[in-house]
Amino acid sequence: MEQTIERTGRAENGVRPVPKRRRDSSESRWGLIMVSPYLIHFVVFVAGPLAASLYFGFSDYDMLNPPKWTGLDNFARMGSDPLFWKALRNTLLFTVLFVPLQTLLALLLAVALNQKLRGLKWFRMAHFIPVISSWTVILYVADAIFNPRFGAANALLTRLGLDAQRWLQDEKLAIPLLVVIAVWKGIGYIMVIYLAGLQSVPGDLYEAAEIDGAGAYRKFRSITLPMISPTTFLVVVMSTITTFQAFEQIYVLTGRGDMSQAGGPNNSTMVLMLDLYREGFTYLRMGYASAIAWVLFMILFALTMLQLRVQKKWVHYE
Amino acid sequence: MKHKRWSRAIAYLAITVSALVMLVPFAATLMNSLKTYKEYTAVPPKWIPASLQWSNYAKVLELGHFGQYTFNSFFVALLSVAGAVISCSMVGYAFARLRFPFKNALFVMVLGTMMIPPVVIIIPHFIIFNKLHLLDTLTPLWVIEWLAQPFGIFLMRQAFMNIPKEYEESAKMEGCNPFQVYVRIFMPMVKPTVATLVIFTFMGKWNEILAPVIYLTSNEKFTLPIGILSLGGQWVGNEQLMVAAALISLLPILALFLFAEKYFVQNHANSGIK
Repeated sequence: MEQTIERTGRAENGVRPVPKRRRDSSESRWGLIMVSPYLIHFVVFVAGPLAASLYFGFSDYDMLNPPKWTGLDNFARMGSDPLFWKALRNTLLFTVLFVPLQTLLALLLAVALNQKLRGLKWFRMAHFIPVISSWTVILYVADAIFNPRFGAANALLTRLGLDAQRWLQDEKLAIPLLVVIAVWKGIGYIMVIYLAGLQSVPGDLYEAAEIDGAGAYRKFRSITLPMISPTTFLVVVMSTITTFQAFEQIYVLTGRGDMSQAGGPNNSTMVLMLDLYREGFTYLRMGYASAIAWVLFMILFALTMLQLRVQKKWVHYE
Repeated sequence: MKHKRWSRAIAYLAITVSALVMLVPFAATLMNSLKTYKEYTAVPPKWIPASLQWSNYAKVLELGHFGQYTFNSFFVALLSVAGAVISCSMVGYAFARLRFPFKNALFVMVLGTMMIPPVVIIIPHFIIFNKLHLLDTLTPLWVIEWLAQPFGIFLMRQAFMNIPKEYEESAKMEGCNPFQVYVRIFMPMVKPTVATLVIFTFMGKWNEILAPVIYLTSNEKFTLPIGILSLGGQWVGNEQLMVAAALISLLPILALFLFAEKYFVQNHANSGIK
């Protein structure tokens, strides 16, 4: 149809068709063709799954029989499931310990590295090696230090005349140690984000402060911290979202490849993602697992909204 | 001035201690991989083995399905990289340079997808691949990368938007269609961003654990991170070999990192500026 019109147009005018019009229709066509992979992605792997997952959340579904609508049963069950509450508590505890600790340490490291130190590249690389390692690699690295039998940490404690610890196998120590290991692994990543942010803080601010006689702490507190607050906000929001869905590190470090051991000892490191995995993929309670997923999503959404609201109080935008 | 020297000294000290905290555990792990089982489990631990058991590394390559895991990991990572580069650049180009109906609505969908935590869609994904009889195959691990992931689209779109308009004008004059302009003129101009996307995708897939744990059940299908963990049962009394296996699995990423460090750092730094 389009072509006929153009052809007539050309015949009547006796000149080439108006290029703009022709380009536009072909541009639209090409645009839609080129964007189509994402269209398929969105329909098949995002919108459809979201709707399905919401439906499963209110259903009893074991993948063998068609899902059966059960209303709020899954959510009621969650409310009376002590394991769910334990997983929720552990997830929150893990996030609350991990996010501030990693953010603060990463910022301090970035500030130290930003002093135009010689060998900056090498220091940065050293901090990035844990970042590029898989959790499986980290398991054996953590083992070298925290293995209860032959790790270096216990050897040191024994030499100092202190009691050896069971580390990840100790119900009380497991979560704090997981936090320490996660901070150790991820800090280089956050540090690099901060380094980029620090480089955009104008140097004359510091010079002016120095003339006024401000010390290192004063400059950090009154210039660096406010100027870098948009980066801090981004880092905190990002880390909260990923930490809330932590699975791999806990699966690997506490389970060592065995799902039935993961989250141990005695469920002391059971987090929401592990609970969800077990309900869904081990017991095939896909309905209940979907309900857990939605609750996790809602809590995360509320947390993000809260952070967005609170940011007005402490984030400075230019 | 004296004051400044002090603060630099403290910075050096802090960063050196921190770098040691990062590297010493890796050095200890390397040493562990070169011990006999007896040395590996000795109490108190010995830092340096009596003689370095390089043969541990040779044994890893011979035993179990290690070669198969390595192949699977490369297969998944390379197919994902190819898919991500092709699909994200194409979609990103369309969003950056072409005008077409519903463009803004579609782009809002891309941004919206970035906000959805993967946890709410993993169960339906599992069901889809079950319906397609693709469970316990490597396909679910890479196929989605061929359908343009939001992060990659965003990254490529930013790169294409920074190119001046004159380039496509002149190409259009010569009668190229938008697809030809994208392939011939624009793709060669965004090589650094493509490198970032390649590294980001490769590293993500190489280290991924959740998806392989969900989708794979047969040992010979495993990728390296979960394959190595599965060797625990077979290698009782030989656990030092698992340490060696883990370090071998780090090598490709480490090589890529030493070779192209700036792209690793650049990508992460960019995510901060956004």
